[in-house]
Amino acid sequence: MEFDQALQTFIMESRELLEAMEESLLGLESSPDDPDSPDNRDAIGAIFRSAHTIKGSGGLFGLDGIVAFTHVVENVLDRVRGGEVPVDGDLVALLLSCRDHIGMLVEQIAVDAAAQPDKETEATGIMLLNQLKAYQAGAKGTAPAVTGARVQSQAPVITTLPSGGTVESDNWHISLRFSHDVLRNGMDPLAFIRYLDNMGKIVHVVTLPDAMPLVPDMDPESCYLGFEIDFHGDNVGKATIEGVFEFVRDDCTLRILPPHSRIEEYIQLINELSEDKIRLGDLLVNSGSLTRKELDEALCLQALSAESCREKSPTQDICQLGEILVKQGMVQPELVDAALGKQKVAKENKVQESKLIRIQADKLDQLINLVGEMVIAGAATSLLAQRTRDPALHEATSTLSRLVEEIRDSALQLRMVQIGETFSRFNRVVRDVSKEIGKEIGLSIGGAETELDKSVVEKIGDPLMHLVRNSMDHGIEKAEIRRQRGKPAKGTVHLNAYHESGSIVVEVGDDGGGLNRDRILAKALEKGLVTANQTLSDQDVYGLIFEAGFSTAEAVTNLSGRGVGMDVVRRNIEALRGTVEIDSREGAGATVRIRLPLTLAIIDGFLLGVGSASYVVPLDMVMECIELDDAERQETRESNYINLRGTVLPFIRLRDQFRELGKAGRRENIVVVQYAGQKAGLVVDELMGEFQTVIKPLGKLFGNLKGVSGSTILGSGEVALILDVPALIQRAVSKEAQLLAYGL
Amino acid sequence: MAKTVMIVDDSASLRQVVGIALRSAGYDVIEGCDGKDALSKLTGQKVHLVISDVNMPNMDGITFVKNLKQIPAYKFTPVIMLTTESQEGKKQEGQSAGAKAWVVKPFQPAQMLAAVSKLVMP
Repeated sequence: MEFDQALQTFIMESRELLEAMEESLLGLESSPDDPDSPDNRDAIGAIFRSAHTIKGSGGLFGLDGIVAFTHVVENVLDRVRGGEVPVDGDLVALLLSCRDHIGMLVEQIAVDAAAQPDKETEATGIMLLNQLKAYQAGAKGTAPAVTGARVQSQAPVITTLPSGGTVESDNWHISLRFSHDVLRNGMDPLAFIRYLDNMGKIVHVVTLPDAMPLVPDMDPESCYLGFEIDFHGDNVGKATIEGVFEFVRDDCTLRILPPHSRIEEYIQLINELSEDKIRLGDLLVNSGSLTRKELDEALCLQALSAESCREKSPTQDICQLGEILVKQGMVQPELVDAALGKQKVAKENKVQESKLIRIQADKLDQLINLVGEMVIAGAATSLLAQRTRDPALHEATSTLSRLVEEIRDSALQLRMVQIGETFSRFNRVVRDVSKEIGKEIGLSIGGAETELDKSVVEKIGDPLMHLVRNSMDHGIEKAEIRRQRGKPAKGTVHLNAYHESGSIVVEVGDDGGGLNRDRILAKALEKGLVTANQTLSDQDVYGLIFEAGFSTAEAVTNLSGRGVGMDVVRRNIEALRGTVEIDSREGAGATVRIRLPLTLAIIDGFLLGVGSASYVVPLDMVMECIELDDAERQETRESNYINLRGTVLPFIRLRDQFRELGKAGRRENIVVVQYAGQKAGLVVDELMGEFQTVIKPLGKLFGNLKGVSGSTILGSGEVALILDVPALIQRAVSKEAQLLAYGL
Repeated sequence: MAKTVMIVDDSASLRQVVGIALRSAGYDVIEGCDGKDALSKLTGQKVHLVISDVNMPNMDGITFVKNLKQIPAYKFTPVIMLTTESQEGKKQEGQSAGAKAWVVKPFQPAQMLAAVSKLVMP
């Protein structure tokens, strides 16, 4: 039993290692030019370690097949690591295949621990081993050993500086340029230099009269001088020296470079700093090699350059803070490198910390269920407390419900995972597919840190895969056409995710040809999906490609074919209570936008009463509530819209929608709801306020019910239906449009 | 010849303490108890530095500095303003009036001495 568990751990661990290996290999492939660069050396090291660990643990479980194969891969990797075998595209491709093969072997173990590889897998293994032979020791044709790589990577001794000259001695170097106004402000530059001498010893001063104009142009009240000072001081820090010039800080340009002997000290300090603060500027300031004032100045410069960059060319990268610091001569480059190194280590440690606990998914699900029950029980308690009108009890239950709310939020947080992992899997997909179809396509990823429910992440992979493949295959044009249209030959697919008013938006975009409205419309007419006299917005037309049976390669060559039914994509998304829409600009590309609810289990709801029944609307979608007064009730008896501050607001009477019996209430209210940029009103009798809701799915029998997405249990034990707001809005809007079309 | 520093503050004890510190460092010190009093004592003699408080009766420090800078003999005389942490706005005002240096209250005599000697050596 325990052995089985350990084996499960091995399988999980191997999957992770293989994923890391793939990432490093892809990284290596994208920048193979310089195999000795520190990044690439790290990548090779990581790949080697992955293989090594899998081999080592595999041996413990007696998985001979994996051990034997990985052993050969490891040998080759060891030679790569030692610089004996050069890294090139072929090798990376081969190693990727090897990685896939190991993955295959591991997955077979996962299914059945005693399984022997099937014939096909075995054949692949033998083929790969043959290919690997070329890279093994003693093989002919391998490149002669490249040695010395390691020696080179050792820290070089740098003695020259980009500005401000050389600092080789034990002296501080101070560059001072006074502004013209310094004398007028009553400051005597020499007084500061004299004061500096009190703190240590001024070894050397060079006065720079370069800025001095000819006598007729000279203003005796202006200061034209600059000074280069070599200063020797024991126990003096950068901040202390800066402090000397405190009163003229705004009236001069000051650069202080530490003595060479100090640099090592600073590097050591940087390495010893705690890892709480990991911003580059903070690291340097804390080590004392940069003063707060200098940092502010550099950040200011960075902001300025960012602005000008944006104006000139949006593609140009914003200057890095480190670069600015070195260019301005505020800090030596060695220190920036040391701080960047430290930053990287700190970040990695953080990442590792965040990976610490591993919990079985079903335990988590159970917790969420229990929290759900607790939310309901809590609501019941609050209700009872309210009825007793006992203030102490009331107080206690309100504390309780606040805590329950917090527990609910943190429990849901446990299920949240970043979408980045799902996204980065597409690196490989894009690489493989672009090779397969012979187009050069890159992937850009945004919003990788956006979090969403684990169960959503699991289910969204397939639809995304369809969409990405579609974009690559049909969205992005061939290189020649792209060049003709004045676009770069290399196409790009973007994946992006972000939060928007209670939902999560996932975008799959491309910079290809976009959708062809006329062709889609023609096809839809042919299929009888629309009639000739219908007026359709662009959105409506694009939405047609999600209709079942719409995907034939000939019909809309730039976004279909391949038998990948877009209707399947939509059905999958709708099963997650999400929606899909498409934005497209002809010639510039298309973006498919998937909108998903934040969580599937528990929501903050808004409770509404109609007649004797209660309904719940997700609170995030509620914009405002307005009272429908008597005059308006008369006016709107026949029509289905009101004038909301100058815009038309279509609405639905829930009483009619759900055939609620009984007389209309004495008062009526309109709840304005919004979803995906559209607004509509829901007419109800009573507003009962905010309410935590656990969503209970409706039974299969009610699967086709329109306008209702689930149910929940109220504190009183009654059942309330959760309204499907997107569907209701759609209904209100289309009803409105129909009326308009008939001229009513 | 010793350099002359003027200290303007409505607190006699503060004037005293600063006076002792500065005199022992080798400065000549003249005192003023508010802006008006200080201006009346500045009759064209050489003063190398003025230290002035902000909040004072009769004439506050900022008005005092503005007036001081109008007098040709003291146009280029550096001024140290005494501010408190909560007077960020006053600091700005003082700077535009012509006081480019400042010391935050409360301060130790040694701090004051350091600030003074940055601007004027005894």
